[in-house]
Amino acid sequence: MNKTISICPFCGCGCSFYLVTEGNRVIGIEPSPLHPMNKGMLCIKGWNSYEFVNSPKRLTSPLVRKDGHLVETGWDEALRTVSSKLKETQAAYGPGALAFLCSAKVTNEENFLMMKLARAAFKTNNVDHCARLCHSSSVAGLALTFGSGAMTNSILEFEDADLFLIAGTNTTAQHPLIGTRMINAVEKGAQLILMDPREIPLAQFAALHLRHNVGTDVAVLNGLMNIIIQEDLYDKEFVASRTEGFDQLKSVVSRYTPRVVENISGVSAGALEKAARMYAGAHKAMLVFAMGITQHTTGTDNVKSCANLAMLCGNIGRPSTGVNPLRGQNNVQGACDMGALPNVFSGYQSVADKGLRKKFEDAWKVENLDEKPGMTITDMMMAAQKGNIKAMYIMGENPALSDPDSSHIELALSNLDFLVVQDIFLSETAALADVVLPAASFAEKMGTYTSTERRVQLSHKAIDPPGSAKADWEIICAISSLSGYPMPYGSPAEIMSEVNSLTPSYGGITYPRLEKGFGLHWPCPKEDHPGTPILHKDKFTKGLGTFMPCEFRPLAEAPDEEYDFLLTTGRIYYQYHTGTMSRRVSVLEREAPQARIEIHPEDAKRQGIRNNDMVEVISRRGAMKARAEVSTIVPRKVIFTTFHFAEAPVNMLTNPAHDPICKIPELKGCAVKIRRSA
Amino acid sequence: MKSIKKDHLVPVLNSWAQRFRLFAPVRGINGEFILSHFQKPNFDLDYKKPSLPPKSTLMPQSEVIFEVENNGYREVVNAPQTMLFGIRACDAAGLVQFARFMSRDREDVYTKSRTDETIKVVMACDGPQTETCFCTTTKSGPYAKKGFDLQFYDMGDVFLVETGSPRAEALLAEKSFFDQDDGKAAKQIKGFKEKGVRAIPVRETVQKAMDRLKEGKAVENVWERLGKKCIACGGCVYVCPTCTCFNVYDEVSGPGRGHRMRSWDTCLFGGFTREASGHNPRPDQNSRLQRRHEHKLLYYHRDDVADMLCGCVGCGRCSDYCPVHIGTLEVVDAISGQ
Repeated sequence: MNKTISICPFCGCGCSFYLVTEGNRVIGIEPSPLHPMNKGMLCIKGWNSYEFVNSPKRLTSPLVRKDGHLVETGWDEALRTVSSKLKETQAAYGPGALAFLCSAKVTNEENFLMMKLARAAFKTNNVDHCARLCHSSSVAGLALTFGSGAMTNSILEFEDADLFLIAGTNTTAQHPLIGTRMINAVEKGAQLILMDPREIPLAQFAALHLRHNVGTDVAVLNGLMNIIIQEDLYDKEFVASRTEGFDQLKSVVSRYTPRVVENISGVSAGALEKAARMYAGAHKAMLVFAMGITQHTTGTDNVKSCANLAMLCGNIGRPSTGVNPLRGQNNVQGACDMGALPNVFSGYQSVADKGLRKKFEDAWKVENLDEKPGMTITDMMMAAQKGNIKAMYIMGENPALSDPDSSHIELALSNLDFLVVQDIFLSETAALADVVLPAASFAEKMGTYTSTERRVQLSHKAIDPPGSAKADWEIICAISSLSGYPMPYGSPAEIMSEVNSLTPSYGGITYPRLEKGFGLHWPCPKEDHPGTPILHKDKFTKGLGTFMPCEFRPLAEAPDEEYDFLLTTGRIYYQYHTGTMSRRVSVLEREAPQARIEIHPEDAKRQGIRNNDMVEVISRRGAMKARAEVSTIVPRKVIFTTFHFAEAPVNMLTNPAHDPICKIPELKGCAVKIRRSA
Repeated sequence: MKSIKKDHLVPVLNSWAQRFRLFAPVRGINGEFILSHFQKPNFDLDYKKPSLPPKSTLMPQSEVIFEVENNGYREVVNAPQTMLFGIRACDAAGLVQFARFMSRDREDVYTKSRTDETIKVVMACDGPQTETCFCTTTKSGPYAKKGFDLQFYDMGDVFLVETGSPRAEALLAEKSFFDQDDGKAAKQIKGFKEKGVRAIPVRETVQKAMDRLKEGKAVENVWERLGKKCIACGGCVYVCPTCTCFNVYDEVSGPGRGHRMRSWDTCLFGGFTREASGHNPRPDQNSRLQRRHEHKLLYYHRDDVADMLCGCVGCGRCSDYCPVHIGTLEVVDAISGQ
């Protein structure tokens, strides 16, 4: 029995545990008792995160499609096929016909290499990953207002906050060890204002629950700011010394009087006034948000409005304050940091900046790096359907289930000349591929992950990968070298040295420092820098914080006479994203074996639906069936379900309409009809 | 009675490690103590109780119980000779309750064989390991009365070593163990034990809560109050020395091929009691928490508990590691209205 220190592969909390192994099998989990994030604790997913690693369904050999079927092959053939197809496509159609998807599940080093493969070896900026679908609006919105698109404060600070404004995050389910800190703080006297259409578990701890209509966040936030300004409750000194654009803000939000907001959002004027006074009156208020804010056609506006509110009350740059987007995957923060985005290199260094391009060209010994930002996932899928993207390399992502309007995604992927998918399981996406490459899981390789609080941590290898599976970084190196751009890295540490030298915010985050201790918060520019748990302390990353007032815009697809319900989607505690991992954990699958559609009792009665009845939900794009859960968790005329289950693929229904700035799709709201199914 | 000088201990452990799978307190990479394979450079006597009890050596969090091949199955019993060095009295008591439960009405061949093959060396405590220790209340510490092969008492430069089983005699044949005058040693040990007992005050609320539960007079709404904040992580059960529940599932590798597995489970998960119809006799977290704590404090089986107080051994880990403070100590306070 051996014990190897590792980082949980599920959400973005960054909990640390020992993998308990016997031979080449992980037989259990032992939470790290001293790690400040989890202190010997874990959630149900963390405690059971070993099981999928041992699954007999793991990919153990490369697969290639022959006569329509995926058949096992050796690495030689698989890698040669990938390399030659990518080269051929590049030669025939230009680099812009290629697209690369990084992964929020793999290490920083691997994301860095994938982005380098796209940019240096294949000369395209068409590189993106699923942050597009979760927090691209946070990255965009906070970069514009503050200059840095990440969580401003750190997780330990939740314990000492006076007030939480929680918008669109079911924290006890999705970030359990942040949710429990909120509960503990409330029990010690902190106040909680919840902004959520659903009555999530945290509602029981809320002093005030604003159940606004789905998609009316900007109106509610503007309404709060209007009251705070009208009643002279804002932090004048902070506004004067640290920010710009207050007059524009004042003029925009002044139109959002409590009555106007009540009409738009359904939140009563009285509740809005109370919330405004509570938030403005708190000394240390943390604004916390997740997908409920970001996954809208107005996602960037929603985020900017959150930033505006925090700046207005001076809740930035101090302990237990800030604007805190909770990142949903173990390394979605890191994948963004590593430049797995179409417009930036690692450390958010713009590809459009000639000097920065020169720096990367020199380091990578290449010329003419692509200067035009590449395509986002949203655009790539559209381009694939139109035939403009010809080949795609997907690492550790499952867009066939996770992206909106699945029929369109499947058409797009099927329309490619060549699709290569690298994964630990034959996911719904991998099943569509021409070549499938078997990857090592988190337990089978070394590397770093960056948690939602910007804490970069090292995870160690506990066992060997199954069969001939290899670590993602090894596969990328092999493909790059075969394609004529050698990547002779001997270890993840060597890759991290390159990240250190090219990425100012990661400059001092080196392996020797990560070997001991509990990770480092970026920015950490130098070897002797202690890291930065709190951003924007004395000045914003961009200098002055900029108020960016937004006008309310309604959902892209509101319910109408025919499609009379609003469908909103999300996640549950027991499953994780498209279920590739969690559905292979027996206890999680037992707890939540099937999709449920939450519907309000009054609506259910009117539709003749009883609890547990099979119901059909239909949108303009598709239909799905699942069992009803009649519950007052959802308000009237709103139904909720999750995207975990391939048998009930809710993204057949969702609307691909997206935010104009960051291209995030409106997964949180579309019009549907619902009926009892035979 | 025997004794051993502290600086003679490591060579003895080295020698035992040749004969047993030897688990000992080992300092992890960040200074935390875990029970792991004895490693000389990371072994340290200045340790606190590890965050997990040693029950995983009797029942790992997950294990193969049958191997299925060609539609036939083979039971997999794997019980290497094992020594647990330096476990605390509460954990030794936990192993006793665990083993008794697992063989009371039906013998669990997997844990039984491992129990038989496991030598337990207890390190008696002369005070609390953490502020949540309450073994004096549950009559399961700070020193072991039974359920050990050897018990070490820290006397400064030397350990006094008490023998608790016939098979332990052979272990003391190592030349580093010296004979001690029994009378003097007994006196020293008595003093050590008294010091330990004095340093770990009895928590009156435990007995009070047990009485209240018996009389059906727990504080009203106590389970509602606690159930509302429980996130069903299962942590209190996973870290509990006496929790034994497991789930059985299959890892199917192909037609007629695979593993039948079992893994730790908990009565705090809804699916643990959900019936095939979908009906759940314990439909919410309130009733599940109530069930778990009543099992420890009210419905424990006399035979499992032996001469201890109840189904809890007072290690305090559930209080240390519950993210929302629903450990036994908080629960008994709540039940008894403190």
